[in-house]
Amino acid sequence: MHHAYRRRPVLRGVDLRLRGGTLCGIVGENGAGKSTLLKILSGELRPTRGSVRHGGRFGYCPQHVVLNDALTVRQHLTFFQTAYRLADARYAEEIMEILGFTGYADERVGVLSGGTRQKLNVTLALMHDPQVLLLDEPYQGFDWDTYQRFWDLAGRLRGAGRSVLVVSHLAYDTERLDELWRLDNGVLRQDAAVAA
Amino acid sequence: MRFHLTRFAVATRFTLVEHGRNRFALVLVALFVPLWTFLAFTVLPETPAPMRLDATGEALSPPGNEVTAISGALNAVTLITGFMMFAATYSGSRFDRRLAMAGYPRAHLVLAKVTALALVSAVVAAYATAIACLTWTPRQPLLLAAALFCAALTYGALGVGFGSVLRREVEGMFAIVMTSIIDLVLQNPIMSSGADNPLLRYLPSYGAMQAGTAAGFSTSPVPGCLAIQLTWFTGAALIALVGFRRGTGTALPTTAQILPGPGPGSGKAVLPAPGRALAPSAAASDTEAH
Repeated sequence: MHHAYRRRPVLRGVDLRLRGGTLCGIVGENGAGKSTLLKILSGELRPTRGSVRHGGRFGYCPQHVVLNDALTVRQHLTFFQTAYRLADARYAEEIMEILGFTGYADERVGVLSGGTRQKLNVTLALMHDPQVLLLDEPYQGFDWDTYQRFWDLAGRLRGAGRSVLVVSHLAYDTERLDELWRLDNGVLRQDAAVAA
Repeated sequence: MRFHLTRFAVATRFTLVEHGRNRFALVLVALFVPLWTFLAFTVLPETPAPMRLDATGEALSPPGNEVTAISGALNAVTLITGFMMFAATYSGSRFDRRLAMAGYPRAHLVLAKVTALALVSAVVAAYATAIACLTWTPRQPLLLAAALFCAALTYGALGVGFGSVLRREVEGMFAIVMTSIIDLVLQNPIMSSGADNPLLRYLPSYGAMQAGTAAGFSTSPVPGCLAIQLTWFTGAALIALVGFRRGTGTALPTTAQILPGPGPGSGKAVLPAPGRALAPSAAASDTEAH
């Protein structure tokens, strides 16, 4: 897969296969093209050349929270429950409990802290139990406790056979990952330490 | 059928909640409409403003302050709905895209927006008509309300269009304000000596201004003028629809979009307990990028 913004190439031949039941990470410096790659994988952006194929339903958590400030947390859940055609929002409530923001269900999103908004951002990507989960800098704004619970959640999803792809500019906690890729100069290379 | 109704009802409810949270617009409606009408009526002279009403061919000589009150009411309702729809589109376009990519039918989202626009326009038009009736005596109040409603619809759709293409909030505000001012000032016989120029027929609120003037000072029905205004609304709505479709589309093949899943749809999906590694589900599958 290749992508360029006008004449500036960002991705120069990325070939990626995400297997079921794996927890993968992609790291790279600022501006390396990580978010571009994830936008292409999620369908937000069409690559200049190449294609993406998802074998099953997927969830995408964008880097910048995409929420409606006028609606409450519960109204967001109802909106996306309708979008995903779910009978109820019990699974979303479970995720909310794990991430620790159940108490904000009736708060308007516009008045929530950055961390709580990010928790909802992640929940909306997860609430239909996707087989493939694409997360762009998912733990930004999380406190340490939530950060740990996030990784616990990711591990549990992997255990249930889901694929989780986490994109970040920092290579923290690489021991939690099954695969680590480094996006460098528009090319994806497997990180030797984790690959071994 | 229930499937469509539920999606339409949910989207409409939340679109209206969003508009209801736009406190600034509500204050504008509550204060701006009566202020404009009252000032136009009291400050401007009652001197007759001779004019020929294109719609009926009648020669009219209405008081200048009443003509300007109609123009002011149109100005107020168009600015308010244009601004409300622009603000909602501008701030909500990425959210709409996320909803559409999550599987929300775009037709239901569009219908909800049109319904909300129609409701907002109806309320604002009814309020502006009531204010007008308290200040002076239009001959056909219902026709005046219909003219204001159609103009509000048109500018609401223009607001959505501006919200889809403009990248900065101030650009949208400026575009709406300038469009409304040029549109209405040129048609006002008090302010423009060229108010009977044939070119004015192509302005966005020509139909509403003609219908509004007929409502104020004539007893003739003017359905053609409302039809012209609704044609403008249809054109603006089509442009807005193209913008919405472009802004909410996905680059993935249809089959690869986020599909409803069997998991939590049953209401029984439960996250595995920590440390309890389940065998990959039969539904687990790969993602590939080449």
